[in-house]
Amino acid sequence: MSASPSQAKNCIAPHRPTSCDLCAVRERSICADLGARELAQVEKTMARRTVVKGHALMEEGESNDTLYVLVQGSFRLTKHLEDGRRQITGFLFPGDFVGVRPTEASAYTAEALEDSMVCHFSHKFLEAIAEDCPGVKDRLIARGQTEYHKAQDHIVLLGKKSAEERVASFIEMVAKSIGETDEDGAATTPLPMPRQDIADYLGLRLETLSRTLASLKKKGAIRDISRHSVVLVE
Amino acid sequence: MKSSWRKCFDQRAPRYTSYPSALHFENTVTPKDFADKLDDVNLYDPLSLYVHVPFCRQLCWYCGCNMRVENYYERARDYVETLCLEIALVGQRLKGRGKTVSVHMGGGTPNYLLREDIGEILTCIEREIGLTDSANLSIELDPRLLRDCDIDHLSALGFRRFCLGVQDFDIGVQQAINRLQSYELIEACVSDMRASGIDDLAFDILYGLPHQSLETFDDTLDKVISLAPDRVSVFGYAHLPERMARQRMIDATALPDEQLRSQLAALSDERLITAGYVRVGFDHYAKPDNALARARLEGRLKRNFQGFTDDAAASQLGFGASAVSFIDGLYAQNERAIDKYARRVRQGEAPIARGLRRTKRETIVATAISDLLCKMSTNVSAVLRHSPPADAIKMCSLLDELEADGVIQWRGDMVEMTDGAHALARMVAMAMDPYARSQADFSAAV
Repeated sequence: MSASPSQAKNCIAPHRPTSCDLCAVRERSICADLGARELAQVEKTMARRTVVKGHALMEEGESNDTLYVLVQGSFRLTKHLEDGRRQITGFLFPGDFVGVRPTEASAYTAEALEDSMVCHFSHKFLEAIAEDCPGVKDRLIARGQTEYHKAQDHIVLLGKKSAEERVASFIEMVAKSIGETDEDGAATTPLPMPRQDIADYLGLRLETLSRTLASLKKKGAIRDISRHSVVLVE
Repeated sequence: MKSSWRKCFDQRAPRYTSYPSALHFENTVTPKDFADKLDDVNLYDPLSLYVHVPFCRQLCWYCGCNMRVENYYERARDYVETLCLEIALVGQRLKGRGKTVSVHMGGGTPNYLLREDIGEILTCIEREIGLTDSANLSIELDPRLLRDCDIDHLSALGFRRFCLGVQDFDIGVQQAINRLQSYELIEACVSDMRASGIDDLAFDILYGLPHQSLETFDDTLDKVISLAPDRVSVFGYAHLPERMARQRMIDATALPDEQLRSQLAALSDERLITAGYVRVGFDHYAKPDNALARARLEGRLKRNFQGFTDDAAASQLGFGASAVSFIDGLYAQNERAIDKYARRVRQGEAPIARGLRRTKRETIVATAISDLLCKMSTNVSAVLRHSPPADAIKMCSLLDELEADGVIQWRGDMVEMTDGAHALARMVAMAMDPYARSQADFSAAV
């Protein structure tokens, strides 16, 4: 599943969006707090790329001076432990940010779980803009979740005592980001990540995760389970 | 072993599974010290878990472990409940921090417990601390207690490494140590394990047992090699009847003398190396494609309470009576007596009885000794720098004597074991160990 390092950072050629006005997630979070002048400035220096499923946006240990905003799709954040194992440390959904501070060595690898769309903002340009528009970076990321929020989420989930609590809270967390409710009131939560990733993230064995999902369905908390989504009972 | 080296050999040498050794533990380490260290564990710090099961069906007279023969399973059931309470106490403190990368169950006899109870312990670890499929699960097994499908069940629970206590195949030796188990029994266990896809199977064998001769031990080694375990640990039996009452059952006059002991050790080394095993440390052997052999090759080998390991976790959490935890320089050992251990856990208290806070100098010596045992070479400059001058001179002169005997070779600040001298690594470690140097009888050992 994971891409080899040589091909990992293989994004498709950048293109400028015709206008940030057309951006699907803008109203919900990204850029929503920017004034018209700020937006015009930011728009000039921004690039949007497609990241192909399985490819990395940023690699743990490599330098990074770009702020990334996820516009469409999903990513998983992973980190190598000192014993060589890989730990899933979080998931990114549209509206989330990574690369919030420029760094010599990224703390995570961000890998696309599906073909995804990402806006790139160079920290260098953002700082240049900040001379005219102080605090622009803070307002840019004000409504989205950054990698620091993801770490908070993770410790909260891992601290929950039963497998059921961990799984239910996880679904709730994902639903808050990308859940959709249709006209019948069925709340569908997409789960773009493999089950093994969810289990690893929640500190559970795969078998326990499957058993817990089945038990949540039996209890009526979940109406339907498919490979890549759950339908919750409203 | 060269005959000139025999004077360097001392069977009382510490095993250095910890440094300083557990003999130096004192009752000054408190549950609060342990809890404070747990508070410092970070979200993704690898944790290596050890679970001690102190029950056996029958007494083996050579055994030096904390165990008791238990005839009432009810008591083992109570113990499992206590273990789960203890795991929950640690989990409450960790609050989701730390990542379980391995669980090892040792004893005693872990498979004295019913497989349902072994499963319950794992479920409890998963719930309270976290357990994912990537964790390495290993368990020590008494082949005589394995029932139909036990292997399948344990492997379904996620155990990937099984350690069988084989000791010796000779019936006369087995009688003399009160552990009768036929070759056919072990063969059946091995074939069950292979059938369930286990590719990391370890045998423990012992030299220095009563009635062992070069002929009987050679035959045991034939059988071991024919069963092709992935790892073999060859331990020397330490006869300490004054400390271990059960060892008084062993006829001391039937024990191999020092010369025969070293010949037995050398025979096992030669046979296993010829059979294609890679030497790991001074008493472990592994097939070249085994994780332990790879760790040795890549310089990742470590030493912990279970011996040599490829487990990279810096923190170890021990659960159960007499189990030892090690976090960030603190050794903390649980109560040895099962009832005392259980009473304290049931009062909601960490059952820490003793331990030790490693000083900076001890940590430096520990690193040097661990490198020596794991890599057969070590840099002694830091140890010398942190020793009082008289101590440093003493250490150098002991190492010089070992060099004169051809056991080691100096290369700048590096001390390297010479070819074939691996069995003496612990004696070289003693020369670097201020505690061992201060013992009056150390001069007799070198």
